[in-house]
Amino acid sequence: MKVPDKVLEIAKAIRSMRIRGAGRIARAAAEALKIAALEYSGPLDEKSFRKYMAHIADLIISTRPTAVSLPNAVYYVMYRLITSHGDLNKLREVVINTADRFIQESIDAVRKIGEIGARRIKNNSVILTHCHSTAAVSVITTAYRMGKVVKVYSTETRPFFQGRITTRYLLEAGVPVVQIPDSAVRYVMHEVDHVVVGADTIASNGAIVNKIGTSQVALAAHEARVRVFVAAETYKFSPSTVIGELVPIEMRPPEEIVPREWIESHPGIEVLNPAFDVTPPEYIDAIITEIGVIPPQAAILVLMDRMGWALSKLKQGEIGKIFFEETLEE
Amino acid sequence: MYKQRPDLLEGVFSMGMEYLRKLGFNLMDTNIEYTLKIINDARRKFVNIPDYKALFRFYEEIVEKVNHERPASAQAINMLRDLGKIILNGIDENLSIKKLLEKIISSLDLWERRIIEECNEAAHIASRRLVDGDVILTHSRSTCVLKAIEYSKKEGKRLTFYVTESRPGMEGLVTAEKISIIGYPVKLIVDSAVRYFMKDIDKVLVGAEAVAVNGAVVSKVGTSLISLIANEARVRVFVVASITKFDIETLFGELVELPESDWRRLMSPDILASLPENYIARVPIFDVTPPQYIDGIATERGLFAPQAIPVVLKDVYGKWPPEIPELEELVKKIKEILG
Repeated sequence: MKVPDKVLEIAKAIRSMRIRGAGRIARAAAEALKIAALEYSGPLDEKSFRKYMAHIADLIISTRPTAVSLPNAVYYVMYRLITSHGDLNKLREVVINTADRFIQESIDAVRKIGEIGARRIKNNSVILTHCHSTAAVSVITTAYRMGKVVKVYSTETRPFFQGRITTRYLLEAGVPVVQIPDSAVRYVMHEVDHVVVGADTIASNGAIVNKIGTSQVALAAHEARVRVFVAAETYKFSPSTVIGELVPIEMRPPEEIVPREWIESHPGIEVLNPAFDVTPPEYIDAIITEIGVIPPQAAILVLMDRMGWALSKLKQGEIGKIFFEETLEE
Repeated sequence: MYKQRPDLLEGVFSMGMEYLRKLGFNLMDTNIEYTLKIINDARRKFVNIPDYKALFRFYEEIVEKVNHERPASAQAINMLRDLGKIILNGIDENLSIKKLLEKIISSLDLWERRIIEECNEAAHIASRRLVDGDVILTHSRSTCVLKAIEYSKKEGKRLTFYVTESRPGMEGLVTAEKISIIGYPVKLIVDSAVRYFMKDIDKVLVGAEAVAVNGAVVSKVGTSLISLIANEARVRVFVVASITKFDIETLFGELVELPESDWRRLMSPDILASLPENYIARVPIFDVTPPQYIDGIATERGLFAPQAIPVVLKDVYGKWPPEIPELEELVKKIKEILG
């Protein structure tokens, strides 16, 4: 089975993290499926095409097994293919159109989340955000244009200082931003009206996996009775958590925190660098998605609505992953 | 506001200095190191002074320096209040300047000894709370906390430590190194990872810049967040602070003044230059942990609940409320008398 070079290139770019960020990965995956359909050169029967697409789908998912947006984008496209009937040309068209629709929806999602989220922001608000999230920035800048935001606190976000990226984007939009060290979150919390953060993955119980530090920002907000909003596209919801799978938390290299020389000259010190933490649903007031605002406990609703097919497959197989080539045997 | 201390750091981070500077490394003295420096400074100044007026001028200078550099440092302020009282008594008793200077120098010597001894004793008491097998989290850098860890090692207790890097300042890197030299395994984490690891931790042990009479603890920024997280996970929080760190003036409703800084404590000018022109940073140095998140304050007189501080003060000063003049009024009074 010949896999087009362009598809292999995209797979390689995702694997090597040249393509990064949940949204970009998801769109690249949809794009790869579309290219695969366009450049299909195998036998001209429907069955061969289905087999070929299932192979490509599995290949793409395998590039970053822990990313959630990647399989979700593939499920989105493949679900349409699996439930469609017709000849080769018809099926090819289904894949292309669905992939295009996914890409467009994903781009529109950030704008829609901004509009929906901004409605939740009160007038004269001080907002605190952690790390860098395109969706959270969209909420803040949209609310600012509506004249609702007076100040934004942005945490530095060690070890990588993604807060500096947030600061840059917000300043470009004219939003007044003050950067604080991560340790100062509780110190400023009494001035804050809303916490707005993004999410890496949303579990089926409404727990949010996001940049390390998010859970303590949410705790400090909870203590001060400050509302916490999570801005996230629906492709961040993880179907596999429905069957109890844990979201893996990546331990990153210690060199991101202190230089290699320091680590080598301090053999008795272990530098631990978890990339994400889990914020429990009770510290989150609402998740803002492009299809509307939901309480975190209703995350399962989004999963059933958007990923129902994947859910049923996961439950049937009682495994954490779907292999599209296996679905063909039915 | 606070001076960089490259001299102190060279030995410690000879290799990674440039990198750490880029990270915004800007180490701060511990509270005790600071008070000892002020005492040394005063001792150098209070020699060959011709008259009371010159003496007062130097005294006022030191008071202003402390108010500017470490306004929350109760220990330095309590020490300066003692000196002020000695000066005022000298005026009352018509002491010669020579006699007064003798008194001041011997008071400074006494304070120096006291601070170290009381820190050691408080550390001793705190160390009894660390039991074999404990996993301890500490934040920033504290002389008395490190002392307590030394005592635990001498007693042969097996402990493991988590240390936060403690931005701004990154004092946690020095603490981690010290604990490692004492001989305990250390895990270094970013300030944001405290809640992630809290489930693995048995106790939190931190130092203090000041303790208010209601039991609130002023300490390195981030301490209050850590205490909140510990509280959520039902992990005990202990503070080591000798009684000289109790801020008596809070008794009269004074708020503890918390100094703030800016981008200078987070990054080098090079990094600032790479950021947008209108970049602003707000960098608090200390924060206040409310008494309900603290399980015990280890002092030289014993381990107390934070809410019991008035009882301790009554014990120390013989009556409640203690008759203690505010430093500012003391300075004003001396100034008026000397004209």
